[in-house]
Amino acid sequence: MVKVILSRLARLVATILAVTFITFIMTALLPGDPINAILPPDAPRDPEIVAQIREEFGLDDPVLVRYVNWLGNAARLDLGESYVNRGQSVMGEIKNRIPVTAQLAAMAIVFAVVISVPMGVVGAYRQGRAIDQATSAASQIALSVPNFITGIFLIWLFAVKLRWFPASNWNRWDKGIWANFRTAVLPASALALSQMAIFSRLVRSDMIATLQENYILSARAKGLNDRFILLRHALRPSSLSLVTIIGINFGALLGGTVVIETLFALPGLGFRLINAINSRDILMVQGITVFVATVYVVINTLVDVLYAFVDPRIRKG
Amino acid sequence: MNKRGVARLIALLLAFAMIAAACGGGSSEEGSDTTTDAGGSEETTTTEGNTEVTEAVVDETVDKYGGTLTMALEAEATGLRPWEDTCSAPCYNMAISVFDKLFEQDVDGLYQPYLADSVSSNEDFTSWVITLRPDVVFHNGEPLTAQTIVDMWAIQQTGATSAGVLGSAKVENVEATGDLEVTYTLGQPHSAFPSFLSRAPIGMVFEPGAAAADPDGFSTAPVGTGPFVIQSRDLDNETVMVRNENYWGVDPEGNQLPYLDELIFRPIPDEGTRLDALVSGTVNGMHTLRQGTIRDARDADGIARLEFQGNNVGGGMFNVALAPYDDVRVRKGLVMMNAQDQVIAALGGEGISDPGTQWFSPDSPWYSQKVADAWPKFDFEGGKALLQEYVDDPARSDGKAAGEQIDVELSCPPDPTLIAAMQVIEQAWTASGLVNVNLTNFDQQTHINNALGAPPDFIGTHGAHCWRFSSDSDPSVDLNPALAPYSPAVAEAAGLDGIVSPLNFANWFDPEAFGAAVAAIRTDDFNERFALYESIMLRIAEEVPIWYSGHTATMIATADNVNGFNGWHLPSGDLGIGFPAAEGRYHEVWIGE
Repeated sequence: MVKVILSRLARLVATILAVTFITFIMTALLPGDPINAILPPDAPRDPEIVAQIREEFGLDDPVLVRYVNWLGNAARLDLGESYVNRGQSVMGEIKNRIPVTAQLAAMAIVFAVVISVPMGVVGAYRQGRAIDQATSAASQIALSVPNFITGIFLIWLFAVKLRWFPASNWNRWDKGIWANFRTAVLPASALALSQMAIFSRLVRSDMIATLQENYILSARAKGLNDRFILLRHALRPSSLSLVTIIGINFGALLGGTVVIETLFALPGLGFRLINAINSRDILMVQGITVFVATVYVVINTLVDVLYAFVDPRIRKG
Repeated sequence: MNKRGVARLIALLLAFAMIAAACGGGSSEEGSDTTTDAGGSEETTTTEGNTEVTEAVVDETVDKYGGTLTMALEAEATGLRPWEDTCSAPCYNMAISVFDKLFEQDVDGLYQPYLADSVSSNEDFTSWVITLRPDVVFHNGEPLTAQTIVDMWAIQQTGATSAGVLGSAKVENVEATGDLEVTYTLGQPHSAFPSFLSRAPIGMVFEPGAAAADPDGFSTAPVGTGPFVIQSRDLDNETVMVRNENYWGVDPEGNQLPYLDELIFRPIPDEGTRLDALVSGTVNGMHTLRQGTIRDARDADGIARLEFQGNNVGGGMFNVALAPYDDVRVRKGLVMMNAQDQVIAALGGEGISDPGTQWFSPDSPWYSQKVADAWPKFDFEGGKALLQEYVDDPARSDGKAAGEQIDVELSCPPDPTLIAAMQVIEQAWTASGLVNVNLTNFDQQTHINNALGAPPDFIGTHGAHCWRFSSDSDPSVDLNPALAPYSPAVAEAAGLDGIVSPLNFANWFDPEAFGAAVAAIRTDDFNERFALYESIMLRIAEEVPIWYSGHTATMIATADNVNGFNGWHLPSGDLGIGFPAAEGRYHEVWIGE
């Protein structure tokens, strides 16, 4: 088991190094002088000032030297300072933004699970019947509609027409749980829709397989009622892949809320990333990208390790 | 139906048709009525050309005090340090609430003292004596004195944005010549110098002690003398300001300003969401610089619109330093083949945006009909003939053989409307059979960098490049840097050593035009200045280093009960300029019932 964990950790470190290197190189290869992002267009390009800024940001060093320096600092959790908002640390920004994005991702997952599990169970139980076809069609549609279209629709319906929720912006926790929930519910729902579709299809297919197991037949033969069999005997073993996909999708959502955060104007990581890209704030882009990629890879590794705990075949494999 | 409407329809059909059918309310009505009756006031909206004019007839007995205005902006302000941070329209809305400017424009665009009390200059406009308004204190209790302005100058000299402006204005010294009297000494005459003191980099007055103590922190906790004090600033979410109880300003009746208790700014970059936020009551004010949003707002119910068509004009520029754009036949030919009305339609500005022919809109005092008549009109065959002449020229500047197609790189930022406009232009140019057009899109920053280039020459790598020109400031503010030599070599050749402007993005240096621009800041006679600026515009119409699409209509829209954006006053009692480029002034805004 220790060997498995060590192997996964080694893979984790290698992946993170590869991600940081690729991200660094790609941003370094972007056309244009970073000085032009640091100084406004009408700022005088006094050679002394330019040289001072170049030295401050190490812009005259070869790209590999810059990468090694950056990596050394990153290992101490120092991801540098914004080019555009001078004095603003990248790590500070990530710390400030991640609660918003993480809450959105978590709420989206919870919403999706709450809706998808009953849908999947019912679909499997009534396989081939009208309700199964209806839930499958609904999942298909939910999967096909891009989340920004869903977002626009939710704003129109629940903000403009019904006025139940605000159209945009974010109330932090210090304004109260309900105030926070009101601003989070529409974007989280927009994110949840496609997750819901994936989860419900997964639960349905796993449940169909589980319902064909001998112990289910045995339970039926004992005269247990269908609800008890579904919820006590079939759902738990059918949830293993759901739990796995929840973990992976949570990681993906941390980096996948860019469009929704921009649409709803939410101060999360995605919104910050877009602003950084638009203003060519390279260190900020790099820092956020590497952070999101690292979280994703770490979650995947944890899932791998957990699997190894749960399933002896993986340990042996 | 607009794009957002289509998106909604798709969503409706695909996912929620039944729900929507059950919950649908009244649809937007065409030509919604913008006449409002709010809290004792009546706003009568009329249309003059493409500019919506709202005149407030206010019942003076109404209590205007109190309330919160939540204003949705198109972006977050990068920072609120006037000397350091680039300040575009969203930032300006916030900054103007915290800082006062030494000068402000009146309804005719002329500069009047604001935080300054009076101003005078010597005969050649190289020395400007400004007397400050007495009894003004900063938000931290520090008094405004002449020494404040001198201490500001020390910080401005190294500021990322202010140093360039000080350089353009050739400010050589700032000296306290009395408790409240400060003298600016310039290295060159500048008859419109107050125009520099009416914009953020050197015109907004900040508390230099607080700025020097914590320059980075000042960005989120700025200290000015303005009508509102920052209470909290949550970047990319909301900035909350509260009334400055010690504000020096009063309305024409002598009532203490500002009226609002609280002013909240929220960045909502998505145009549709911003409008939805207003319509849904999530916010009670918004601004936009997009024609498409103005069009959508015209269809929305229950909001008041304040539209402004300023001097700012869209279009593009040619990199005149590079072939084939160095040949006027190519530039003029391409512009003549460009159907301006179709481009404006593609930009979403049909019926909203006036076609541009110069750097001034038809209602500007600087507008010239002579220039409008001289600007090359759409004439596809005429343009094609000019290009054919270049193509057949054995000595053509791009080094290609006679008869070969001209290569043109047309580049715009990746905005959907700009891409649509690019395609219209591309089709016209390609249809001639003489031009091979390569379309490129880069993010905004790269787009600017490509045009800016690098020192020492600042020639850039652009070809035909989407761009915007002009503003509602004095013409010298935009024109002088855009016409000055773009590289040391050009300056030296013209006998103008040391005069180099990276902001001459088109790399078009015309001694006659630049000479007129310089002459225009040596006189304060309007007629003389008008003739000089007219001559510059005529040179541009002749040489065509740039092309125009339409003037930029901008808008501030509010809930029906929000008043005062369009009727604010200068300390003299004259009406202020209004809300140019969607930059509002908030000290006389009030909420009715």
